[in-house]
Amino acid sequence: MTTIANPADTLLFETSVEGRRCLRLPELDVPKVDLKQALKGAKLRAKPANLPEVGELDLVRHFKNLAQKNFSVDRNFYPLGSCTMKYNPKINVTLLCSPGFTRAHPHLPEADLQGHIELMYNLEGYLREVSGFPAVTLQPAAGAQGEMTGLMVIKAYFEEKGEGKTRTEIVIPDSAHGTNPATAALAGFKTVTLKGKPDGSVDLELLKTLVGPQTAGMMITNPSTLGLLEPNMVEIAKILHAHGAQLYMDGANMNAIQGIVRPADYGVDVMHFNLHKTYSVPHGAGGPGAGPIGVASHLEPFLPVPRPVKNEDGTFSLDSKRSKSIGKVRSFFGNYGALVMAYIYMSQLGREGVRRAAENAVLGANYLRVKLRNEFKVFTDRVCAHEVVFTDAIQAKNDIHALDVAKRLIDYNIHPMTIYFPQANVTNGEGAMMVEPTETESKQTLDFFVDVMKKIAQETKENPQLLKEAPHNMPVVRLDEVRASTQPQLYCPMCMA
Amino acid sequence: MPFIQNTEAERREMLSAIGVKSLEDLFVDVPANLRINMADTSKFKLPAGQGELEVTRHIEGLLAKTKNTGDYAFFRGGGIYNHFVSTVVDHIALFDSSFITAYTPYQPECSQGTLTFMFEFQSSICALTGLEVANASMYDGASALAEAMMMGKHVAEDKWRKEDRNTFVLAGAHNPDYEQVVRTYADVAGIKVVNVAAGADGRVDMEALKKALTRKVFAVAIQSPNYLGVIEDLDAINAARKESESLFVHCTSEPLSLALLQTPAEAGADIAVGEGQPLGNHQFLGGPAFGYFAARKEHLRKMPGRIVSETVDKNGKRAFALALATREQHIRREKATSNICTNQSLCALRALIHLAAWGKNGFVELAEHTVAKTQYAMKKLAAIEGVKLVYADSPVFNEFVIQAAPGLEKKLLKKKIVGGLALDKYGKGRRGQYLVAITEVTTKAQIDAYADALAEALKGKPAAVA
Repeated sequence: MTTIANPADTLLFETSVEGRRCLRLPELDVPKVDLKQALKGAKLRAKPANLPEVGELDLVRHFKNLAQKNFSVDRNFYPLGSCTMKYNPKINVTLLCSPGFTRAHPHLPEADLQGHIELMYNLEGYLREVSGFPAVTLQPAAGAQGEMTGLMVIKAYFEEKGEGKTRTEIVIPDSAHGTNPATAALAGFKTVTLKGKPDGSVDLELLKTLVGPQTAGMMITNPSTLGLLEPNMVEIAKILHAHGAQLYMDGANMNAIQGIVRPADYGVDVMHFNLHKTYSVPHGAGGPGAGPIGVASHLEPFLPVPRPVKNEDGTFSLDSKRSKSIGKVRSFFGNYGALVMAYIYMSQLGREGVRRAAENAVLGANYLRVKLRNEFKVFTDRVCAHEVVFTDAIQAKNDIHALDVAKRLIDYNIHPMTIYFPQANVTNGEGAMMVEPTETESKQTLDFFVDVMKKIAQETKENPQLLKEAPHNMPVVRLDEVRASTQPQLYCPMCMA
Repeated sequence: MPFIQNTEAERREMLSAIGVKSLEDLFVDVPANLRINMADTSKFKLPAGQGELEVTRHIEGLLAKTKNTGDYAFFRGGGIYNHFVSTVVDHIALFDSSFITAYTPYQPECSQGTLTFMFEFQSSICALTGLEVANASMYDGASALAEAMMMGKHVAEDKWRKEDRNTFVLAGAHNPDYEQVVRTYADVAGIKVVNVAAGADGRVDMEALKKALTRKVFAVAIQSPNYLGVIEDLDAINAARKESESLFVHCTSEPLSLALLQTPAEAGADIAVGEGQPLGNHQFLGGPAFGYFAARKEHLRKMPGRIVSETVDKNGKRAFALALATREQHIRREKATSNICTNQSLCALRALIHLAAWGKNGFVELAEHTVAKTQYAMKKLAAIEGVKLVYADSPVFNEFVIQAAPGLEKKLLKKKIVGGLALDKYGKGRRGQYLVAITEVTTKAQIDAYADALAEALKGKPAAVA
């Protein structure tokens, strides 16, 4: 019997047929040219790039087939911890598609950009109010670039004080996001790892032994990556400031504290926002996001340029004349389209809505913590913030691990939680399962998740094989991910033909 | 409350299940004196929330205070280009929420849609650049160039352990935004950046470049077509760097040029980076779009960013998965090749759809039209008294520099024309010079109107010197 290739599993390059077309150009309205002559002998490529040739229907159908192979917030509960997969309002995308945005060229005359600069100016204002910082820049393209910008600003600050050569260390808790140490290294700092207390909070006595004149700052995530609010933020800031060092707050988990407390009031000097987490910019299968930073007043002169400013006559301008600025971290104005969506979202939430978002995010996580704590070990069973970290300690007795639980969730049409983060050195070797429901999920959905998780706990004991072989209804199952790295095949061979 | 579905009754039920009395009790770890008091409206002064109707009106009000490329005959590029974007792109990338509301494909079984398009995207970047490995996207062209520098430094540290290679050469006319971003990254990484200026023909001064390429240099980057629109002689640059063995980074902000021009691989480049906006991404004041990043296979393990590989599942079926995560920050932490996490996947998806929608022959035709229109515009503008082509003898693709007179913008704007970008801020001696950009969107009628308006604006002005 011959096997029939499933069109849904075929790559665009494989369906390509010479001569097939989707888009057509208008007839050329200027004289044709001889390429060699027109390009004055510049070397041409040997042959055209072998891009796929498809018709519009097959092109659309290809991506619709791929769409069906994806879980997404609009179709699935997506409690991927640390990523804040909240609902993305449709109005964001619809308004963003206005020609006023899609055809806004950065080199239009400034007079034509007034509404855009005003929007950026207003959004900076919103973020200043939420964070308590006197100054914000919208330029960083993502959280990690926000971190980078924050550390560059800190570095520039110390260089101006003549301490650039001596302030070489950044203290980072062992539970931090991987981007924190990676950023510190990229920014030329030595990282000093701070081991957390068993409950995930900062060990103040230990911190005191690590901070000194060599310390440029500390990067702290609050709430922590264990989903817990750090109770001693004020003391931590005091310890750093006593040595002249700066406190950087990773605002990835701002969803839990917006409208509750302003990070600047803790004594934080710099923090970044993740607009794709807290302010509903769609995650886009990995990006784009945006990572603005807020800073205390002594750091403002070092922020990237240009900065949107409001003039006395009510007009807006972009100010690039700032002599102490670190320069630019991204071309033009950052991920402006993402900023627009965050602005629309924040305008809808308003003062009350921002606070309610945090309250309900925290309410949902605690509800799951309490509802599931008999079946799954809660890493630190006290009031949590917007996410709760379970471990697989109970299931491990049946040789079922976080990975198996995650894969079994797929069978119930739920996107798995984040697994194995925080890393094993933080969770005493137990496999972490970090669940973040977000405020936009209803109680029914949370109850459904609770029922599913309880069922999985039961299956662990009664039929562990069911978990080991999960998922059961997906196009592919349990991939050879080692092979992906040891024998990488990174392109479709036809593309190089 | 907007987007929160639970009712007050449900909230009470949940609080009672948790065993606390009020929502306030969930924030015991926040010191009472720091908690925002909602009754005190002098603090935390966000405006009240608005419904969909009000917000739509507000945004429309802001947009009424703007104009866009559609309102003009528009002749500016300089890194972002006014291309046509097919409706198919928006329908798949924005209106089908299966991609836009998903995240990084950590769980491959329920993310094959994303992983497959990333693999196809990588394949199309390989097709364009001729290089064997491409990642799944960077933030933009500028930060991709900065990351290429960082990667070059990492390669150098391995390759020339005993040599002190700490210099990055920016050869020729680079986009000033790219240069600024590169310098910002270099400053904190302790890398020395050296510029080698363009010569009288708009191409990098080869004699100066040869002198600059010492054994201190770990990599040299060239933008082609460069910021002045001129296509560089890549073979000459490749030959010049051979002696110092520096790595060769190719960069462009108009990847449509790769449809026709010698590929980075053919030119001998180790790394190719550039701006992805011209490939199916809207202008959005310059972002979000994406940066593409490709390299020779030997550099794979030093590459930044996510990479997808074909593999098989446990039944032997073809499948796609994230590969080589041990380079990345969530595994390697301070030893990672880059700190990038969130990238620009959706913009990369747009590029893939755009490239497939034009297809092999359509993409070439698109580039050919661009060349023809650019040639027409050059002839038309150069024929005006008082206008000269600054690099008349050098090859260009979609942009070129004219010498006219300073301060012509307002006169052109009155005729609904946004003329070329004034270059006086770009360097000394560029007063009265403009960088003119052409795309498939530009019509003959617009070019003619630009030429007429320019001729009129120049009447009575002193003749151009170039």
